[in-house]
Amino acid sequence: MSLLEIEDLKVTFTTADGDVNAVNGVSFHIDKGETLAIVGESGSGKSQTAFATMGLLARNGRATGKARFDGQDLLQMSQREFNAIRSKDIAMIFQDPMTSLNPYLKVSDQMAEVLMLHKGIGKSQAVSESAQMLDAVRIPDARARITMYPHEFSGGMRQRIMIAMSLLCQPRLLIADEPTTALDVTVQAQIMQLLGDIRQDFGTAVILITHDLGVVAGFCDRTLVMYGGQVMEEGSTDDIFATPAHPYTSGLLRAVPRLDREMGELMTIAGEPPDMSNLPTGCPFSPRCAVSLDHCRNQRPAMETTGNRRRACHLPASEVV
Amino acid sequence: MMLPNRAAVEGIAENMQLADVKGRSLWADARTRFLRNRAAVISLIMLCAVAGFALFGGLVAQYEGDFVNFSLIGSNAYLGVPSIETGHYFGTDSNGRDLFARTVQGTGISLMVGVVGALVAVIVGTLYGATAGYYGGRIDGIMMRIVDVLMSIPFMFVLILMLVIFGRSIFMLFLGIGLISWLDMARIARGQTLTIKNKEFVEVAVATGVRPIRIILRHIVPNLLGIVIVYATLLVPNMIIFESFISFLGLGVQEPATSLGALINEGSRTMQFGYYWQIAFPLFFFVITIFAFFFVGDGLRDALDPKDR
Amino acid sequence: MLSFVFRRLAVAVPTLLILVVLSFVLMYAAPGGPFNSERPLPPEVLANIEAKYGLDQPFWKQIVNYVSGVVTGFDFGPSFQYKDRSVNDVIAQGFPVTLTYGFWSFVVAVTVGVSLGVAAAIKQNSWVDYFAVGVSIGAQVLPNFVMAPLLLLVFTLWLGWLPGGGWNGGQWQFLIMPVIALSTSYMASIARITRSSMLEVLNTNFIRTARAKGLPMRRVIWKHAMKPTMLPVLSYLGPAFVGMITGSVIIDVFFSTGGIGQFFVNSAFNRDYSVIMGITILVGTLTILFNLLVDVLYAWIDPKIRY
Repeated sequence: MSLLEIEDLKVTFTTADGDVNAVNGVSFHIDKGETLAIVGESGSGKSQTAFATMGLLARNGRATGKARFDGQDLLQMSQREFNAIRSKDIAMIFQDPMTSLNPYLKVSDQMAEVLMLHKGIGKSQAVSESAQMLDAVRIPDARARITMYPHEFSGGMRQRIMIAMSLLCQPRLLIADEPTTALDVTVQAQIMQLLGDIRQDFGTAVILITHDLGVVAGFCDRTLVMYGGQVMEEGSTDDIFATPAHPYTSGLLRAVPRLDREMGELMTIAGEPPDMSNLPTGCPFSPRCAVSLDHCRNQRPAMETTGNRRRACHLPASEVV
Repeated sequence: MMLPNRAAVEGIAENMQLADVKGRSLWADARTRFLRNRAAVISLIMLCAVAGFALFGGLVAQYEGDFVNFSLIGSNAYLGVPSIETGHYFGTDSNGRDLFARTVQGTGISLMVGVVGALVAVIVGTLYGATAGYYGGRIDGIMMRIVDVLMSIPFMFVLILMLVIFGRSIFMLFLGIGLISWLDMARIARGQTLTIKNKEFVEVAVATGVRPIRIILRHIVPNLLGIVIVYATLLVPNMIIFESFISFLGLGVQEPATSLGALINEGSRTMQFGYYWQIAFPLFFFVITIFAFFFVGDGLRDALDPKDR
Repeated sequence: MLSFVFRRLAVAVPTLLILVVLSFVLMYAAPGGPFNSERPLPPEVLANIEAKYGLDQPFWKQIVNYVSGVVTGFDFGPSFQYKDRSVNDVIAQGFPVTLTYGFWSFVVAVTVGVSLGVAAAIKQNSWVDYFAVGVSIGAQVLPNFVMAPLLLLVFTLWLGWLPGGGWNGGQWQFLIMPVIALSTSYMASIARITRSSMLEVLNTNFIRTARAKGLPMRRVIWKHAMKPTMLPVLSYLGPAFVGMITGSVIIDVFFSTGGIGQFFVNSAFNRDYSVIMGITILVGTLTILFNLLVDVLYAWIDPKIRY
């Protein structure tokens, strides 16, 4: 049985200008200890997929479909049941470490409350366990600095604190939503290194959400490519990189600068991300697709599965370059 | 080996924003949003109606506001009631004067005090705040420190002191009320100026040697216009409340001239005799005017600063 | 922390001096003295009286005398109007009254306002929310001088439940209408500020983090959202305090409660400058001290403020 199985997930936001469909029927799964990358541009619905799974959608959003964790459907759970799982079994770290910690509370209070809640231990023990965890994410002088406020740490340090906080209860699944986007390049590498080590040490399954194919390559077993709130393609990371089977994936790959190619070849995907309140009836990528066929705009391509790969495109896989 | 590439993705997002901005002008956009706000539009219509009442109500009135109908004094309860026949549409006040004409006058004076007071406050505050924000550094520090100091003085007491010492006049009211209220505007204008200051068009103007006064007046103040309009609209009702407060105490406009606050005060003294119309009509105009200004101000703010879009 | 308080006090003292000097100059510039009544006094009598109150001395000497009196002994001098009474006597009589109903008004405005605002934000778009929003919009047009007559009309003239004025040693029946009239519009503003502040805070990333921890909503609100929600409310308390102390004038006049506001208005009509000045300075001092308190509270809540 998969650790987490998402089935036909849809997320809709009600706004003054009409409904916005951020996620339109996404399905995927992740096994114990596995790492899965969800890749796509801003607005592809990848973050909302994660928020729906964690039950953290904005007030005007609602999720339908199934999200089975250990066989239990997260979307049907009561708040109380869900709260018992959050952070204990599924934890999440967020894109912006600068604002994700409460600026008005000491780091020790923010970390200790997780342990006090889920493990029912006393405050002093919780603080000392939290300090150990800060040590584990390589924050120097953790025992002294844990009583400081978030603004006294740098961005990279704050993301380490977030990671330490998410690992306190040794969750079985960690959802990392663009954990390095807001950080400097050198710090990015350190954080990815840290996440990699943690996955090995704790055996935690990780869903890494990113728009940056560069960080996916060395980190994830499998990759899921999303666009317009739908899955475009899925497969092992090596396969996706070697033989992209969707025009959008190959476009993304071409937008990544590589040292083994001439700079001139670096390309962006023409056009703009889709308007989520007004998607084309067919393939959401068709308006920007360089090789789109006549019926791409009107007919949504079916998901075709071959071995451990899935793709949704009218163009035969062999013709995608 | 691959390097992270954010630029490609961000470039797309930026284009999208640009396309969004190019399509419609800010003001046309704001007007559409304002017109969609039903409460604001109705309030604007009501404001026009109140203004029309203040401006042209005198033509409908059957009596002058200062005409005392001696036959009615003392027999208010049955002769001074609101009535179409006698021509006292709103009845008479306790001195036998036509309340309709007095309400017209009171509404007019309250509106005028509100608008002029708000104008004084907004003009002084904007120029002061823009100057402080533009120069920055020590000048900014000193100028805003002065604002802080002035803010902690209970100005209503000082204003009453001034009204007592220099005699009551509409001019003193304008001055006093306007002077109390420019402080907030100065703070807001300063904050906005700090962000505008770093925009390219200001930097270009500085680089080409345009004089500071000209930069402030031609480049900074016009860009503060949106927030100034919103603040001014929200300030008018506060000015009217201020004025009514002082008039309620009997320290505002002087007889025979009147304002809504003074009329409410008079009406509140005769409630106990059952002359409810004497408080009801002025109160009605007071309430709808204040309401309408607040709603229009809120509507303008939402239209010009669409936070949740 | 202590040095922060001292630094704020260092600003407060000159502010107060400015207030004292400003009001003295205003008073000095006034045409006609306090003893110019309809029935002119014989010149020698007038001169005697003015000498008694020190009004015959040059400007600088008067101001130095006054300021030093205020600074060294909180002595605001004699009242020009109430014979044989000093300004201090007048304040001693009126201030406890103002303080009593002012205190309760403040407590009511803050507690009711904050609870209403928090409830509305948590249950956004529920009947609690609509009620809170309705009340806070409605109360904008009900400043104290409108509330006072309306309350009097309903509770005294129609229902006959409450006395229409007076103080009677601060008995509760005499306290209710002044407190409601004075607090309503501030309660509404506090509710509105609390609501929008709380809604904004609930949308922040760190609240999302707190929810992701599995904390129950109650705890998210109290432990994570309350402090940042209160910051804008705290900033509003300074202006609200000034507004209430100003509004107390209306309360005193309308309900004849006998607080300093009543003396203030009487003195204003009688040109009893020393009383007006004394009250203005007293109110200014209170305002400055209150703002200091707010600043200290603010710094205590927000760890990013260095003091």
